[in-house]
Amino acid sequence: MSKFIGVNRREFLVLAVPLYAAGPLQTFSRDEARLVEALCDQVIPADDAPGAKQAGVLYYIDRQLAGPLQRFRSAYQDGLSKLRNACLSRTGRDFTDLPFAEQTQFLKDVEAGRVEQLDTFFRLVIDHTMEGFYGSPAHGGNRNEVSWDMLGIRDVMEGHPH
Amino acid sequence: LKLPPVDIVVVGAGAAGGIVAEQLALGGLRVVLLERGRWQKFSETGHDELRSQRTTVLGNAFGPDDEHYVRLAQGADGSFQKVLPSEGSYNNIAACVGGGTFSYGAMAWRYMERDFRMRSVYGAPEGSTLEDWPLSYQDLEPFYTKAEWEVGVSGKAGANPFESPRQKPYPMPPLPFNREAGMLAEAARRIGWHSFPIPMAINSVPYQERPACIACPHCVGFACEVNAKNSTAVTAIPRAIATKQCELRTRCVASRIVMDSASKASGVEYFQADKLFEQPCRAVVVSCSATETPRLLFNSATKLFPRGLGNNNDWVGRNLQGHAYSGAFGLFEEELFDGLGPAARVACCDFSHGLPNGLKGGGMIANEFIRLPYLFSRMAAPQVPRWGIEHKRFVRKNYKRSAGVMGPVQEMPVFESRVELAPELKDYWGIPSLRSSGHRHLHDIEVGKFIAAKCEDWLKEAGAVSTWKSVAGRGVSGGQHQAGTCRMGADPKTSVVDRYCRIHDLDNVYVVDGSVHVNNGGFNPSLTIQAIAYWASAGMVSELTRG
Repeated sequence: MSKFIGVNRREFLVLAVPLYAAGPLQTFSRDEARLVEALCDQVIPADDAPGAKQAGVLYYIDRQLAGPLQRFRSAYQDGLSKLRNACLSRTGRDFTDLPFAEQTQFLKDVEAGRVEQLDTFFRLVIDHTMEGFYGSPAHGGNRNEVSWDMLGIRDVMEGHPH
Repeated sequence: LKLPPVDIVVVGAGAAGGIVAEQLALGGLRVVLLERGRWQKFSETGHDELRSQRTTVLGNAFGPDDEHYVRLAQGADGSFQKVLPSEGSYNNIAACVGGGTFSYGAMAWRYMERDFRMRSVYGAPEGSTLEDWPLSYQDLEPFYTKAEWEVGVSGKAGANPFESPRQKPYPMPPLPFNREAGMLAEAARRIGWHSFPIPMAINSVPYQERPACIACPHCVGFACEVNAKNSTAVTAIPRAIATKQCELRTRCVASRIVMDSASKASGVEYFQADKLFEQPCRAVVVSCSATETPRLLFNSATKLFPRGLGNNNDWVGRNLQGHAYSGAFGLFEEELFDGLGPAARVACCDFSHGLPNGLKGGGMIANEFIRLPYLFSRMAAPQVPRWGIEHKRFVRKNYKRSAGVMGPVQEMPVFESRVELAPELKDYWGIPSLRSSGHRHLHDIEVGKFIAAKCEDWLKEAGAVSTWKSVAGRGVSGGQHQAGTCRMGADPKTSVVDRYCRIHDLDNVYVVDGSVHVNNGGFNPSLTIQAIAYWASAGMVSELTRG
C-alpha cells in the first residue's frame, strides 16, 4: 500500500474528507464566497448551536448553482456585486469588514426595500440558506447534521436512509 | 414506426391509468400502458427533503424533470412567465410508474353523497360552473369499496358519522395515533366535534404480501422504504403485468392520438428515446392528469376537431381546480413531536357541508404530516422575522412544539381557470406545451376563512398557546389535486365526457383521471379518481368485449 507522509491511503482519504468537502469552489470566486458566507451567517447566525457558516451553507449554494439551481447564477453575480457596491457607498466599508451588528442593520434596510433593488436578491439568499442549513447533508450543507442536532431529531432522521 | 395493433392503449400509469390497465387486462383485452416516466426505487431518492414531491427546490424526485418540460403560468399582473416543473406554479404532478401515488400522502377519502350534487344542494354561486355529476354516490359506492379492498386502505368504518353509507368496512384497521393526533382527538371530543382516524392507502397490517407501515417521519412526498404505501406501482400495475395481457412501456411520451375517421381513434403516437412510434389500437384511454390530459387532446386536433379532441364546445382544459387549502398552526408549551409518521392521523368532517351564512361545501380538516426541518423553517409565525437569530430561535424552540391543522377546501369551478396550449412553447420533443391562467372563486376564500377559524379553535382547545391562520389566496389552483378540466356530464355542450368517461362525439376515446371530476370534493381526490377508474373500466370491458 502506498504511503503518504506516513499515512496509508485509506487513512489519508478519511483524513482528507473534510478538506475535500470544504472546497474547491465550483461557482463563486474567493471574494464572492466570503460575501456569501457572511450573508448566510446573518440569515442563520451561530449561538450556542452552529450557524450557517459551520453548517457549510456556502458550499451548498456554490454546488447547487453549478447544478439544479444554475438558473440563479446570474442573480447571484448581479446581486453580490450590487450589494457590495451599495454597502460601500452607504457605509464606506466592504460588507465583510463590517461588525456583525452593522451587517445586520444593513440587511434589515435591504429587506425593507431601503437599499435599491436588493430585497429580491436577499430573499433568494434567505431561501437558499434555509435549504442548505435545514436540508439533507447530501447536498453540501447541514454538515455533520448540525441543524438536526439542534432540533433534537438526529436520531429520528438517521433512523431512515437519506 | 408503426407497431402491431393491440386492443387498448392507456396513456399514463398513475392513480387511474394503472387501475384501468389492470381491469382491462383482467377483462381479456390486450393493453399497452404508456408512461412518460420510469420505474423508480426508494433507494434512488431516499428521504432527501430538498428533492421530494413536497419540497422540490432541487428538482422533482419523481419527475417531470426541468430539462425536458416547461410551461407558462399567469402571474398576478396577467402576464405569462416560463415555469419549470420544480416550480410551484407549474402545477406538477409526478411522472413515474405509479404517478402521484408513488410518493403521495395516501389519504384515501370517499367524497360525500352531497359532493356529487352540489348544484342541487346549494345552487351555483355567480361566476361558477358548479353542476351536479351525471353519476351519484350510490352509483360509485361499490367501486369505492373495490378501490379500498384492491388498493388497500386502512381505516375505521363507522367512526366518521358524516360519511355516506358504505357496504363494507375497510380491509385493514386504522394506523395508530401519534401524540398530536391523540391530543387533537381529545380536544375535538371536548368541543363536541366528531374526530376519527384518517383513512389511508397505507398498510396498518401486512396486506397483499406487503408489510405494515414502519411509522417513519417522512411519508408524504417520498417513496415508501418498505412498500407499505399502496401506490399503483406496487398494486394494480404489477397485477396488470402479471396477466401477460398488459405491456407497460416506460419513458414513452405520448404526442398525439391518431384519428382514422371523424369519430374514431386508431392509435397513439409517442416518443421513446427520441424515436417516434405509432401504436395502433381499438380504443384509447387518456389518464395523464388534469393538466396533461387536456394537452394531449389539444395536440390531437383534426379538421373536424380543430381545437382539440372533444373540444368543439371549448370545455377542454376549463374549470381547472384543486383545493383552497386553509387552516391554522399552533405552538404548544410541551413537546408534541414524537417522530411517528405519517403523523396526519386525525380528521373531522363536521365542516365538510352545511356551513352557516350560505357558504357552499366546505372541507374536512385534519392534522398535518410531519413538517420536515426545511419546510418548518419556511412556516414561522407571522410575527417572527424571516431571518436572523430570532428566526433561528423560533425554529429551534418550536420544531417539536407545533401542530398544523388544514382542510382541502372544496373549490367552486370557474370556467376561466384553465390550461390551454401556449403559443410557440414546446417541450424537449417539440410537443406544444401548456399555459395556465385564471383564479379561484371568491367564495372559496370565504370558506377558507371559515375553515381556518375552525382549525384555530381546534388547536386552541388542544392547548395551543399561540396560533395563526393560513387562508388560500386567489391564484389559480391545481397542484397535485388537479381536477376538472374534462368535465363529466350528460350534455355534450357543457361537458367533455359522458358518465362512463367516454368523450362525447368520439367512439373510442376515454378520459379517466381527475379531469372528469365536476367538482373536487372537500377531500384529497385519489380514492375517488380510482373508484371512477374501476367504474369506467367495467363499462369499457363490457363495451369492448361485446365483439
